[in-house]
Amino acid sequence: MEQQDRIMDGDLQTLGLQSILKMLALSGKTGKLYVYSGPETLSVGLRKGQIVGLHEEGVPQPDLLAMLCLINRLDPARVQTIRELAQGDMQVTLATLVERGWMTVSEMQRRLEFAVTQCISHALRWVNGRFEFHRQLVPMDSKMLPLDIDSVLLEALRQADEWEEIAKEGVMHLTRTTVARWQPEVSRDVRSMELNAESIEVLCLSNGELPLQAISLALMMPEARVAHIMTRLVALNLIEVVDTAFEDVLRQDLADRIMRSQNALAWRKRASDPVQHLHGLLIILAECINELLVHHGKHARVFLGRGQISSIEIVRYLERRFAPPLQPLSSQYPILETANFSHGQLNCNEILALDKVVKGQQLEEFYWEAVQGLSAFLRMLFAELLHDEVGSSSTGRQLSAAWKLFLFEFEQEVQQYQTYRAQRAARAARDRNATQPSPTGVAQNRSTVPEVDGRSFWSSEKRRSI
Amino acid sequence: MVVPTVLVVDDSPTVRKIIQMTLQREHIRVVTAGDGLSALTSVADEAPALILLDIQLPRMDGYHICQIIRKNLQFRQIPIIMLSGKDGLFDKMRGKLSGSTEYLTKPFDSAELIQTVKKHLANWQERVPTQYENTRPRLRYRG
Repeated sequence: MEQQDRIMDGDLQTLGLQSILKMLALSGKTGKLYVYSGPETLSVGLRKGQIVGLHEEGVPQPDLLAMLCLINRLDPARVQTIRELAQGDMQVTLATLVERGWMTVSEMQRRLEFAVTQCISHALRWVNGRFEFHRQLVPMDSKMLPLDIDSVLLEALRQADEWEEIAKEGVMHLTRTTVARWQPEVSRDVRSMELNAESIEVLCLSNGELPLQAISLALMMPEARVAHIMTRLVALNLIEVVDTAFEDVLRQDLADRIMRSQNALAWRKRASDPVQHLHGLLIILAECINELLVHHGKHARVFLGRGQISSIEIVRYLERRFAPPLQPLSSQYPILETANFSHGQLNCNEILALDKVVKGQQLEEFYWEAVQGLSAFLRMLFAELLHDEVGSSSTGRQLSAAWKLFLFEFEQEVQQYQTYRAQRAARAARDRNATQPSPTGVAQNRSTVPEVDGRSFWSSEKRRSI
Repeated sequence: MVVPTVLVVDDSPTVRKIIQMTLQREHIRVVTAGDGLSALTSVADEAPALILLDIQLPRMDGYHICQIIRKNLQFRQIPIIMLSGKDGLFDKMRGKLSGSTEYLTKPFDSAELIQTVKKHLANWQERVPTQYENTRPRLRYRG
């Protein structure tokens, strides 16, 4: 931007955006107005005092196509076609929709006008900041018909007033970047709640990914009204506001715990004896279960926003929540009867100390049963925990993917033991046959029987090949 | 916006996923490889700004990969952070001798990982253009 082209600048406290726009409209100026406030920048293209384009720096353009698809305005096949053509440009998207006859010209014009009004309405509430007007800059290329500044300002001011009104009603926690998502469990029938069409549309778009501003653009409903509806939906327990800072902490904590369990698994792989191997797996399972319990004690939904929670309350909650699901597993895997909850942790010491009571084949059988039982409990625990803490949000999906990979690695270890068991059973069967005299007098070929003694239980090379 | 690319080489899919998840939150592009040969291919294809390299890998260990990269004129300046469960002095020395920039002991936590990665990505943009400009990366394994 050339300095000599800048014909006007100043700060917003001296001259507000409303006055600047009025002045430029009255003098019929052509050029570009830049308004800066903190990290936000707005640029408005003007031609002969009329708005011909607008751009917000640093604000990602909402995925209008995905939103139209969510509210059943476009089918996914059409969305895909337009997406490939438009490459994320909202104006090209709208123009292509019109070209294909999937949107009327007037609707495109209304959508573009609405987007401009929303941005100006937002900028009108900036108190501190600076502005610059550059006359020589060619106004932005736009599909939009030139807009009269007076009518845009009138609507923008009305919308800004709506924000003020809802702020007076106490809706202070919602902003245009607020993201809401559906509650994981809604037991009531949504149709019985007598929600109007607008509320249902906002509910449909509250998928944990779209900010309030994008929902407003998709529905062409002022941001303040969307915020008002969201507040009502939150009160009805249909949606919840996503706390990204909290989810970051939660994601980090859980990822670190999974990483620790994976590392323990990698080290336990070095066991050469099947009993030792199962014992190692049991230690990993017990540690992993208790890591997850500690994590859930910190991040459970019931404790959110309650400040410091006493450890007794956490212990009671964890035992109340997770001891009952252990009971049915105990009937399937009786060895789990020896595991019990103590101080909010699953105490598996009796299982781990079984080698002091039994040995040989019997010990191996007990360990194997415990591995299966604890593995089932671990899966259930993680599913419950994730569902409670983050539901089906993107954080939940990411953590779930990492968890599945960890389980896959764990399963590989279990499968090796299963292979070993199968080989052992096969050898036992052959040995039984070998003790009976062969009717044809031909000697049994024993060279194909796999070696399953302690030393060749599974070598590192075998593990890699599996 | 141009974002740095980090190559994560580890045989554990869990570790790869968790590192990817953690670094992507920091606006860092992550590519992954599960063994030594794929790692070398990724270095040539992606020209990463940083490599996180596990020591124990199938077919070719981390020390060997590190030596190959260090012998290559185009990629020798890429910082390599060795990842391993071993924290013994001998392993650290061996890592250093093979040309690693830093050593991160597993299990590391997310904060430690981010801090270390950011430290080595501080001036990645200055390094990348001079290194890779107008050249087709070539890496050959003569194993």
